[in-house]
Amino acid sequence: MSRFFRAGESDSDETESDYSDELTHSESEDHSDSDSDDSSSDDDDAAKKTGGRGRLFEGSFSDSDSEDDTVRVVRSAKDKRFEEIEQAVSSMINGQKINDWVSAQNEFDRANKGLQKAAGIIAQTSVPKFYIRAVADLEKTIQAALEKEKSSTKKMNASNAKALNSMKQKVKKNNRLYEKEIQEYEKDPESYVDEEVVEEKPKVKKPKKVVVSDSEDNTDAEAADDGFTPVGAGGKAVELNQENIYKKLKEIADARGKKNTNREDQARILERLLAVANSPYQKIRVLLALISAQFDFPIGASGYMTIPLWKNADKYLNLLLTILEASPEYIVKEDVPEEDEETDKDRVPQNGEPVYIQGSLVAFIDRLDDEFTKSLQNIDPHTTDYVDRLKDEVGLYSVIVRSQAYFTRLHLTDSISRTTMRRLEHLYFKPDVVIVAVENATAALLPASIVRPNQDSSALIHDLCVFLYKNATSLLRTRAMLCHIYHHALHNRFFVARDMLLMSHLQETIHQADVTTQILHNRAMIQLGLCAFREGMIKEAQTCLQDISGTGRVKELLAQGLSLQRYGAATPEQEKLERQRQLPFHMHINLELLECVYLTSSMLLEIPNMAQASSNPDGRKKVISKPFRRMLDYNSRQVFTGPPENTRDHIMGAAKALSNGEWQKSVELINAIKIWELMPEALKIKEMLGRKIQEEALRTYLFANASHYSSVGLDQLAKMFDLPLASVVSIVSKMVWNEELSASIDQVSNVVVLHHVQPSKVQSLALAFAEKAAGFVEGNEKLLELKTPQQAERPKKGPNANKEQATGKQQQQRTMGPRGSRGGRNQFNNGLGNSVRGGRK
Amino acid sequence: MAAQYDLTSKMIPFLDLHLVFPLLEFLEINELFYTPTTLLEARYELSLKTSMIDLIDKLHGELKDAGVTTAPIELVERRKEVLEKLMNSQAEAQKVMDVIENPEVINALRQDKLQNLQFLKDNYGMTAEMIQTLYKFGQFQYSCGNYGGAADMLYHYRVLSTDDTLGLSALWGKLASEILVGNWEVAFEAVQELKEIIDKTHFASPLHQLEQRTWFLHWSLFVFFNHPKGRDAVVDLFLQPAYINTIQTSCPWILRYLTAAVVTNKRRKNLLKELVKVIEHETYQYRDPITEFVEALYVNFDFDLAKQKLAECEEVLENDFFLVAIQEDFIQNARCFISETYCRIHQKIDVAELSQTLNMTKEEGEKWIVNLIRDTKVDAKIDYKENTVLMNNNTQSVYQQIIERTKGLSFRSQVLATSIEKREAAQIKAAQHEKNHPSTAVSEAATKA
Repeated sequence: MSRFFRAGESDSDETESDYSDELTHSESEDHSDSDSDDSSSDDDDAAKKTGGRGRLFEGSFSDSDSEDDTVRVVRSAKDKRFEEIEQAVSSMINGQKINDWVSAQNEFDRANKGLQKAAGIIAQTSVPKFYIRAVADLEKTIQAALEKEKSSTKKMNASNAKALNSMKQKVKKNNRLYEKEIQEYEKDPESYVDEEVVEEKPKVKKPKKVVVSDSEDNTDAEAADDGFTPVGAGGKAVELNQENIYKKLKEIADARGKKNTNREDQARILERLLAVANSPYQKIRVLLALISAQFDFPIGASGYMTIPLWKNADKYLNLLLTILEASPEYIVKEDVPEEDEETDKDRVPQNGEPVYIQGSLVAFIDRLDDEFTKSLQNIDPHTTDYVDRLKDEVGLYSVIVRSQAYFTRLHLTDSISRTTMRRLEHLYFKPDVVIVAVENATAALLPASIVRPNQDSSALIHDLCVFLYKNATSLLRTRAMLCHIYHHALHNRFFVARDMLLMSHLQETIHQADVTTQILHNRAMIQLGLCAFREGMIKEAQTCLQDISGTGRVKELLAQGLSLQRYGAATPEQEKLERQRQLPFHMHINLELLECVYLTSSMLLEIPNMAQASSNPDGRKKVISKPFRRMLDYNSRQVFTGPPENTRDHIMGAAKALSNGEWQKSVELINAIKIWELMPEALKIKEMLGRKIQEEALRTYLFANASHYSSVGLDQLAKMFDLPLASVVSIVSKMVWNEELSASIDQVSNVVVLHHVQPSKVQSLALAFAEKAAGFVEGNEKLLELKTPQQAERPKKGPNANKEQATGKQQQQRTMGPRGSRGGRNQFNNGLGNSVRGGRK
Repeated sequence: MAAQYDLTSKMIPFLDLHLVFPLLEFLEINELFYTPTTLLEARYELSLKTSMIDLIDKLHGELKDAGVTTAPIELVERRKEVLEKLMNSQAEAQKVMDVIENPEVINALRQDKLQNLQFLKDNYGMTAEMIQTLYKFGQFQYSCGNYGGAADMLYHYRVLSTDDTLGLSALWGKLASEILVGNWEVAFEAVQELKEIIDKTHFASPLHQLEQRTWFLHWSLFVFFNHPKGRDAVVDLFLQPAYINTIQTSCPWILRYLTAAVVTNKRRKNLLKELVKVIEHETYQYRDPITEFVEALYVNFDFDLAKQKLAECEEVLENDFFLVAIQEDFIQNARCFISETYCRIHQKIDVAELSQTLNMTKEEGEKWIVNLIRDTKVDAKIDYKENTVLMNNNTQSVYQQIIERTKGLSFRSQVLATSIEKREAAQIKAAQHEKNHPSTAVSEAATKA
């Protein structure tokens, strides 16, 4: 078992206890949010009164004096822009008044530029009225000026006149755009101006000292905030109350995603709105916007959502779910047409008809989970930060469970399967203890109606998977199946896992799947191999692991690290994609352990195989594990071999000892490998390995030395390899039966009689000759086949060949043992090849 | 001890109500595993679901004798009801039968079912509903226990009907009826037909097909172990990939019957390998002495264990409804297997020990070995003095190997030569053709290119 599992186990205990801490913590946070005069800083009473909401403000408060604060007025983008325009307009008017058309023209241009910049804001509201008034007046003034110019004898200077003329053109053109507004203005210039005045009023007030609020005893916290928190359109301090809640929401929704929107502001306004909102409908609406706002915050250089933000989102999502659970007549759905006229009314369910609100909870869940994964990908796994972050998983998990329950109540099949899948993906790789701990912690967090503690993790996984098999789309089904296989393999249910894999025919189609699914498939295969190893099925383990461990790209295939780009083939985008796919550290399968298991099982298969191949020279030389052979070659080429240091050295040493028949030494070396300790029941595994080594040593010995004996006593063999006589007989019998060893047992005297067929020179030459002749004929046949036009052959061969193929395929389905593995290996390789290719796309 | 290997309870869910009776009776007669009264009760419960009033009555009486009180039943009324229904359906079916049995009609009927229907409709006013009555009557007769009649009706129905789903049910019914009548020859045909239909029909869901196959596997056991050719058929059928998969997925216990059939089958060598693979693979799901015997012999080469398992097999076979008939055969063949394997691995064998392995006395064993040497091509001799069997190892000599290898060469070369000749002839022909019609040849060449 990998290192992660141990880590997981040990901190599972922590998570429980930590959880309660966190719970209280978040509760207190909640508290501070609802009571606006409470503060998280505990300096003194005065500081407390400044209001707990603005941490930002607190920072500035502590290290800057009051003057600074006046400068640091937080203004909305709109204000800034409008102010610019206004300034330009007023200096333009000044220019007009003194008949300085050059400067007037400049200012006019400036105002227009500002207007363009503010186009986004204007699109939602309207063109600022002061601007309309100015341009309308401007046109008149220009006209007047021109007339005066004509009639007067005193000429303007040249540049001034030129500016005036061009101004005339520009204004004409410009005013055409605002015809309607100008008309409106002209109709009733007085009231137009009045409005303007109203709007301008707060501007005058704005640069007030924030610290003042400190000295004013009776100012409540709300007022104290005024200076730096929400300032609405036109610089108006925003009064947040029941009435304008919807308007505000709409404003924020409209501003969302715009270039110049200040997200922090928006979030803060929303938070305040939340405090104001009192009906469930309002709350839900605000929360929906608020959660989106959390996700809208720009992601910095770290590449993931900052943790406080994430926690906020988590908190609000929980709050939202609580509300939704408490008032089932409100339903948040994705496909509800938004009715504009109703957005500013509090909607109450009528006649038992539920109120539908647009929003997507499942998208929130997805995003929350993705951000969690992203943060884990980016935090260094060897720091305490990582562990701290990992503790948040319980919270996340509980949100997922909760929303799953919510969707189940609403029968939103698609959303249920998505959340169920998320839930499954949080669980499938964990050992029982951890799953139970997580489940219990979740149960403690959530109302009893939603979840009850589940003691049987396998049953839980089974239920989740079965649900997905029945309801989900084919991709989710595939993933669920793979998770299920992984889980079975983790619990040493090799046969069940293998049968699931074979019955699902996943290996045939996996190369068409997306990269992450292929990675999951690779993980499941690896886990299956490890499981087979734990169960002592060396051959199965080797074949399962072969395809992934044999490639040398284990890291890449398991998404546990970036591949080495030896050929510089990857562009930055590919690398980025690959980085995004990485699994968080706690999900990793221990690669060193994996290599150790792979090499050990390769050794147990390859050494006798090599001995057999060397004993009969004309036998086919089949290589079981190339990487193992390469390593062994490299190791034996060294002139001096020091004492083994790492796992690989140990296994190579053991392999050499095994091929020399020194099984004790081999066992010793294998047992000295430290990494076995990471496996559950390491002792049992060592014992199993010892036994296997003895058996394989016996086989190797027989293969290697058969030619030197005419008979060997079975008793002696049993003694040499410390095996019971019965198993020696069984092993020898098997070898004889499979015609690996030309020998037979003499039952009376209890010896193995070895038959030596030592062909004479002539005989062996004759054999070789016969072989050559056969090869010749075969070559001729092939040649002819190549040269004959295809159509002549086809009708004869076609149907038969097809049939054979078909039956062969069917047979593969299930009959072949770990088996499918032999037939399936090619296909499996394809899958892997594709996974890599997919990755580079 | 053998009770754990009793498969009756596992198999019942996959059998028809009526097919269960023979199984239960078998258990009752042999006084196996369960107390007779529970079995009697079970049969009684079963019979209540059928319309076999006489049987119900009889079992009720028997139960009373056995001292078990059951809920009183309104047999008289039910009998009346059943009889009435029987009369009604018979009357209805008779109409159809009258028409069909008319020699003129029989002569006029053709292969094409639709045409037949049209013909019957035109000339005799027979509708599809009327033909349906045949099915209903057959079903009812089956339910009453009149299997012969049911088989007859269903046969007629199948000849006339064009309804595929009902046709399938009718075939199932017919198979069951034939099985219960004991008409193995016809049942055997029905099995073959049924298999074809199941394999060919495109079922809506794979699960449905699996279910059908599972049922089929169970029902066919009745036929296969009673028909003389059945044991070959079992091996052929069950080892087909589709059925092996079915066995592995839904009913691994069928492996026992497959194993038994393979062991008792004469053509076994390559089949055995396949079987061993399957057995090895399924050991975690299902094992009984019979599969364990094969496993011990061919996977572990543990002859002691094989011997022990063989003894257990005897008992299990004796208590198995289907296999009791082939018990003798099985033991014989199993011994054959053991000794063959044994001989192949060993050079010198102590007769006494071998006979012990085969569960025989020394004299019996010796006779057995002599027979074995005579029957099969084992090259062995008995050393009477030492009381051992000496196997001559029969490794191929080098000369033989060379002969083997070069055997086909001349023939293959000949084939090559003729095909070259043929090709040349074709080429010449083509060349001539080209001379005559240059344009077509060019276009051909172009397409080839």
